[in-house]
Amino acid sequence: MSFVPGLGIAKGMALTLRRFFEPKATIKYPEQRADVAGKFRGRLQLLYDEWGTLKCETCFQCAQACPIECIDMGGIDTKGRFHVHWGAPETYGERREESALRRSGRPVPDTAYAHFEGIDIRPVEAILEEFDHDPKHMLQILEATQAAYGYLPVAAVKLISHRTGAWYAMIYGTATYYRHLRFEAPSNEAQVAALDARRPSDGSYLAGLEAALAGAGAGGGSGAGGTGSNGGAGSRGRSRGGNGRGAEA
Amino acid sequence: MTVVSRGWNRLTLPGKFLFILVPLLIVATAALLILITAFGQLAIDTLAANLPIVRFVVAATVILLITVPTAFLIIYMEMKIIALMNLRIGPDRVGPFGSLLSVVHGLKVLMKEDFTPTGADSVVFTWAPVVVYLASVMTLLVIPFAPGLYGADLNIGLLYFFAVSGLAVVGLLMAGWSSYNKYSLLGGLRAAAQIVSYEIPLTLSVVGLLLLAGTMSLNQLVENQQGWFTDWYIFQQPLGALIFFIAATAEANRTPFDLTEADSEIVAGFATEYSGMRFGFFFFAEYVNVFIVSALFVTLFLGGWNAPFALPAAWQVQLSLDPASFNIGLLFIIALAPVVLTLLFGAPFWLLSSRITWWQALLIGFVLANLFIITLAVAWAYIGLNWVAGILWFMLKTYVLVFTFVWMRGTLPRVRIDQLMGFAWKWLLPASLLNLFVTAAAIVVIGR
Repeated sequence: MSFVPGLGIAKGMALTLRRFFEPKATIKYPEQRADVAGKFRGRLQLLYDEWGTLKCETCFQCAQACPIECIDMGGIDTKGRFHVHWGAPETYGERREESALRRSGRPVPDTAYAHFEGIDIRPVEAILEEFDHDPKHMLQILEATQAAYGYLPVAAVKLISHRTGAWYAMIYGTATYYRHLRFEAPSNEAQVAALDARRPSDGSYLAGLEAALAGAGAGGGSGAGGTGSNGGAGSRGRSRGGNGRGAEA
Repeated sequence: MTVVSRGWNRLTLPGKFLFILVPLLIVATAALLILITAFGQLAIDTLAANLPIVRFVVAATVILLITVPTAFLIIYMEMKIIALMNLRIGPDRVGPFGSLLSVVHGLKVLMKEDFTPTGADSVVFTWAPVVVYLASVMTLLVIPFAPGLYGADLNIGLLYFFAVSGLAVVGLLMAGWSSYNKYSLLGGLRAAAQIVSYEIPLTLSVVGLLLLAGTMSLNQLVENQQGWFTDWYIFQQPLGALIFFIAATAEANRTPFDLTEADSEIVAGFATEYSGMRFGFFFFAEYVNVFIVSALFVTLFLGGWNAPFALPAAWQVQLSLDPASFNIGLLFIIALAPVVLTLLFGAPFWLLSSRITWWQALLIGFVLANLFIITLAVAWAYIGLNWVAGILWFMLKTYVLVFTFVWMRGTLPRVRIDQLMGFAWKWLLPASLLNLFVTAAAIVVIGR
């Protein structure tokens, strides 16, 4: 096509006129929101602190929040005690280099990680049956499991997580909160006894409660002045009721 | 005293205002009535005896006043249309569809500090925007908006137009020179060079038209174009119209010839040192110029206030509806028509859908009734009043052209200064001379 003077101008004007009538791209932000998937979380990022250490504490909160469970991670917990992981072993931290190596076809040195051993799952299944697969009884389940195996095997915890529907990270959190629970087989009897001594007994629970109530009553009495006698009476009555119940039992 | 102060304190804030305003209003009305009865006839006689002066004062005032909303409207159009062409939404927060945003801009400019740089020639610096603004506004005096609706019907109207609009160059040079800033001076000289260069093809492009029309009175030019739209001069002078349009774009400093204040490239040209309302005057003058250039193009080439069709006299509706013939019935019509029309227009919506509640139906009916009444009033004015029809057609054509200018700004890239000058002197000037000679030869050979 030969050159026609003004053809380019006409084409440009036609283009802008077409744009004039087209639907607009603007999203009026406070009133309208961009049409993204409800599970969209934006761009995830792992941050480093000023010493170049990864700021991740392996708390699994991001992995828990991830709606499509795309986050895999592995690492050592903050006290350097336990190996923790989330997701398929192929994908977490210390396995990543290894899997890259494996994909490259080179031999993989496997020193850091040992795959969790298989266990006989019948005891833990019986325990779960007993507690009706209810995650609300997690502490009892874990204690029973530890009683059955001597410690909490990773395979058992994974099975509990799978059966009860509780997040692995939650079970891990529960198990690490109570110091009498352990993830490794104890090396000798003395260690077992020491760990069992840490188990909070019924008596220690009651003693703790009494101490807390007494502290609250005393605090209220000294703080509120005029109502101090009433508060003291209330706490005394409560403790008497407790004694009475104890006598009946 | 305590009684008075207690009573005063009991009033709410609007109550306090009303308490003062209402008596003042009553007194002022009474005084005005007394003044009118005493001196009204005398005043009317005095004004009637000095009709030319009154006409001049009224025309000058009206034209000064209409430039402000015109500039606001064109600034809004520019923001909105270019936004829509960029697939944006544009202003949409202030007023309906953001239409008051340009007013807000105007108020903002008004409230900014009005700064005069050290070393500036403050008198010239102050008067430069006034010269630029008035040079634009004064040209509106000769433009016929409608039959009988013009400031002055000069027999050299077109010459006056070019002479006065050329004064803007003086203002630009004043602004550039007095700013005490070499960039302002360069900007002013650039603007002057551009406008002076394009004055020549602009003026020469209408000489052919003047040969055809045999008059320089803009009013007469419009009357020459009466009839169907084929009688418009654009069909007899297409080349002249094209040259005029291009040169007028450069005159109004519009894209693609907006080098003088290319907002994305140079600081602000001659207006670099200006701030506040003095800058606002330059800004206003630019947008008023767009309107004026469009209005002049419509007047010269697009038939001015003429409708694009001329119906045979037999088809024309003769409207001899005298409101006074209804006598007392007029009062009833005025009182009842809104109510009846609201119910009438609302009823179908109420019957149509059970989801529309009675008050929604009434609201729809009210809006529709108002639209109906406005339509009727406009139609009655269009048929009955010559000047209403004229101003409607004139404004329609003018704003279509304004839209075209904005459309061009949304589309075209800016030209370089050498391209700008080369285009004016190498292409537009020979083309306008060619147009002139061909027109003259045609008149000699064919006759009028």
